[in-house]
Amino acid sequence: MNTSPLLGTIVFLPLFGALAALLYWHNERTCRLLALTVMLADLVLVLFLFTLTPHFREPAGGNWLRVEDFSWMDALGIRFTLALDGISLMLILLTTVIGALTVLISWNEIKEHVAAFHFFLLAMMTGVLGVFLAMDVFLFYLFWELQSIPMFFLIGIWGHERRIYAAVKFALFTISGSLVMFLALLGLHLLHARQSGETTFALHQLIQTSFNLPLELTFFAAFALAFAIKIPMFPLHTWLPDAHTEAPTAGSVILAGLLLKTGVYALLRFAFPLFPHAAQLFTPLLLILGLTGIFYAGWIALAQTDLKRLVAYSSISHMGLIIVGIAVWNLTTLSGSLLQMINHGITTSALFILIGMLDERLHTRRLSDLGGLWKTLPVWSGFFLFFSLASIGLPGLNNFVGEMLILIGTFTRQPWAAAAGFIGLLLTVVYVMRMLRESIWGEARISPGIADLTGRELTILIPLTVGALWLGLHPGPALELFGTALTVPDLVKGLPILTP
Amino acid sequence: MTELSWKSVFFQLLLAAGGITIFTAGALLKNKPKHLLFGLATGTVLCAAIAAFLIDGGRAPFFQMLDVGDYARFFNVLFAMAALFALLFSHRHAGLRRVAGDEFYGLMILAVLGMSLVAGATQWLVFFLGFELLSLSFYILIAMRRDAPSGIEAALKYLIMGMVSSGFLAFGIAMFYAATGTLDMPVGLTATKSTGSATGMLLSLGLILTAAGFKISLVPFHLWTPDVYQGAPTPVTALLTAGSKIAVFAGLLRILILSSNWLWERSAPVLWMLAAATLLIGSVTALAQTRVKRLLAYSSVAQMGYAVMGALSVRADGGLAVIFYFTAYALMDLGAFGVIATLCASPESDLDALDSYRGLGYSHPWQAALLSICLLSLAGLPPTAGFIGKFMVFKAVLQAGYFVLAMIGIASAILSLYVYLKVIVVMFMKPNTVTAVTSGFGTAARLALAMILCGVLWAGVFPSPLQTLISRAIAAISI
Repeated sequence: MNTSPLLGTIVFLPLFGALAALLYWHNERTCRLLALTVMLADLVLVLFLFTLTPHFREPAGGNWLRVEDFSWMDALGIRFTLALDGISLMLILLTTVIGALTVLISWNEIKEHVAAFHFFLLAMMTGVLGVFLAMDVFLFYLFWELQSIPMFFLIGIWGHERRIYAAVKFALFTISGSLVMFLALLGLHLLHARQSGETTFALHQLIQTSFNLPLELTFFAAFALAFAIKIPMFPLHTWLPDAHTEAPTAGSVILAGLLLKTGVYALLRFAFPLFPHAAQLFTPLLLILGLTGIFYAGWIALAQTDLKRLVAYSSISHMGLIIVGIAVWNLTTLSGSLLQMINHGITTSALFILIGMLDERLHTRRLSDLGGLWKTLPVWSGFFLFFSLASIGLPGLNNFVGEMLILIGTFTRQPWAAAAGFIGLLLTVVYVMRMLRESIWGEARISPGIADLTGRELTILIPLTVGALWLGLHPGPALELFGTALTVPDLVKGLPILTP
Repeated sequence: MTELSWKSVFFQLLLAAGGITIFTAGALLKNKPKHLLFGLATGTVLCAAIAAFLIDGGRAPFFQMLDVGDYARFFNVLFAMAALFALLFSHRHAGLRRVAGDEFYGLMILAVLGMSLVAGATQWLVFFLGFELLSLSFYILIAMRRDAPSGIEAALKYLIMGMVSSGFLAFGIAMFYAATGTLDMPVGLTATKSTGSATGMLLSLGLILTAAGFKISLVPFHLWTPDVYQGAPTPVTALLTAGSKIAVFAGLLRILILSSNWLWERSAPVLWMLAAATLLIGSVTALAQTRVKRLLAYSSVAQMGYAVMGALSVRADGGLAVIFYFTAYALMDLGAFGVIATLCASPESDLDALDSYRGLGYSHPWQAALLSICLLSLAGLPPTAGFIGKFMVFKAVLQAGYFVLAMIGIASAILSLYVYLKVIVVMFMKPNTVTAVTSGFGTAARLALAMILCGVLWAGVFPSPLQTLISRAIAAISI
């Protein structure tokens, strides 16, 4: 066990930054600079973690890079336990990068209540980082709830026309789901206490709990409900298009890039290991729902007239494939799903960022108002084309690797599902091509003379571009990180990870 | 058998003396120094809180009538602190509404005395005495604004409801005596094996529960709550919700802990139904409210539902969860009403319509932020005291095996979440179309709210010290 709270610092640094931002209520520039500095400092700390090699076997025989465990509410069996493995590491890297970028994105877009905006933005980062690192289930729940509240304010205060509807819908959906999980969590805790005589919320101890099947199914359903709402899995996805469309760009980016990932991550880290038998029985359902999501959201994306809404539905469609990868549950698909989470975080975020930049210039996101942007905004269009192609899964770019891993892994177990998933990807090509045709090709409907991307905007897009190319051309290191974390002997008792 | 030790009832003596001094000063001094009465009142409750905290009266009840041990001490500190906060809120508020007379401050002190008697009584007559003292003080406190029709209406409602509940209580106590032959609570409640008096005993407890149900506004005895909360001066509402309800509940909890298994088995189903009805009806009716004080009144009804849930699991965890919940509830409700007390539409009237809170987040960021934190705590979201409170209550209720009730609780929590979000939405997300609000904190209220904020967050992040205190309190009455 480490005694220096390095992971703790990474988690709470943004929160301190958030409180400090409030002190500069009247100085907007200082607020922005402060928030950016804090997120960059956090990023540096995360990068330092890449120098670590896995050497912790505890808890639960894992391949941990670092484990931190502090006493907290011991009487209730709650400890402040954070642990880092390859999966967490890639996800917190994504979090800090996107965190820093969102500050830059909002530099000109957010003009009102700047201090409060950065307060919520940074507080949210603490929640997300905590979710990715917590190994005490209670602590995890706390961070899980903590990330919803700032998002509610971000959408509700700085969003677009129907922001209140979207914010309340978001809060009600996500918090209702997590309250149901809360009850199951308490039930699990009490059951374990009765069996072992220990009051604990530690994940590696709760995994030892044995259940009768109906109870395990109930608990799994409650956990999966909370996570499925966040992912969002069809048919619980209806809050997401509203939230995405109404949120400010930074909000959409955090939603797509980070919040949705917490759902998948929690499914993998908590729901499956805690309830393996129930999870096994549920996998066909997850598979079907994942596939349905790909088709349903893709089909609806075809009909969208609002650029942001279109990308929102494409985001749901992509998440469907990630769920398929989790449901099939072998090393290839799991690595693929994890990689795809990072890829989706990069490409979908980039698309939302580009749409936000367009909206700042033209004050419209309607496809019918656009067209011929290639001539007026060549640099913007270049990036838009690049990330659209990445989103389709063009070989050489990041999404291709993740999608192929998922499809290949699925094919070895469920060929029909792989075939269906592949057809779903073709649907993606159709709606992305339609989006490109109506926005950057065609007749110019925008008056010329609108400035192209500025230096700040390029600074935002270039790291994402590099990330997309890196993961597309050289995914080895990332896959190795995931692989080491996944090949833990008993990550999931009773549901071994199969190597095809 | 017991030595006459005035020290063990120092808390009560101090409050009685303080109350009488304030009345005397009010009657005798023609030209009072400006803050004399306020200073006397806050000084009294502060000293009383310290006294209750420091002086251990021992395990044996004072003259077999009044518990002076850890259980009573815990609640005495709680009541004194609640009164202190209510007084700090009223410093500016009472002056604006012209209610700051000797009767206002004196009755606040006597109300606390009544609370401590109800929570500490181990004998039915003392319980009744405290119950009446509490009610009488509040009858007048609620009607303090004689020029406001809503205040008079509120006071009348509370008076009639209070009279009826006192009647139930008196009759219940009489039945208790008839059934057991004693007025001593522990003796009577534990020794009820004789079948001859069984019906009488159940009837008696039913009547007493009804009386308590009125005071803590359980459904279906809750209908007075919104009108009284709305009509009473806001600091009085704060004390009513954080003091009076907890006092009666503390007494009820003692009855439940002391009850024999035979009695418990028969009262648990009734409590179950009361909890379910209170949770659902409280949160559903809150949905439709358009006035903030009424909305908080209905939400406090729903909050009582969680408390009854906690009380139902008293056999599983000894009452730890429910007492923690109450402490958290006291803090967050005091905070919410405290913020409302600092807001006025005009010097004479409260800021009450939900619509008049539009844009408050920007015209009065501090108040809006504080109110939001209290509301999020009431909704049970981390990192607040309300979250830990809900966590403990739900854990206890599952431990006691009431699974369906826990589900009802979650449903109610989701409904209430919408209610609280509605207020936050209005404050932060609706454009400010209403004229600016005339208000300000005042030093006293600022101090009180800062303390409450620290308390809400501290109990939410580091609840262990408070839990240790509560464990000690419940260890003192378990038999």
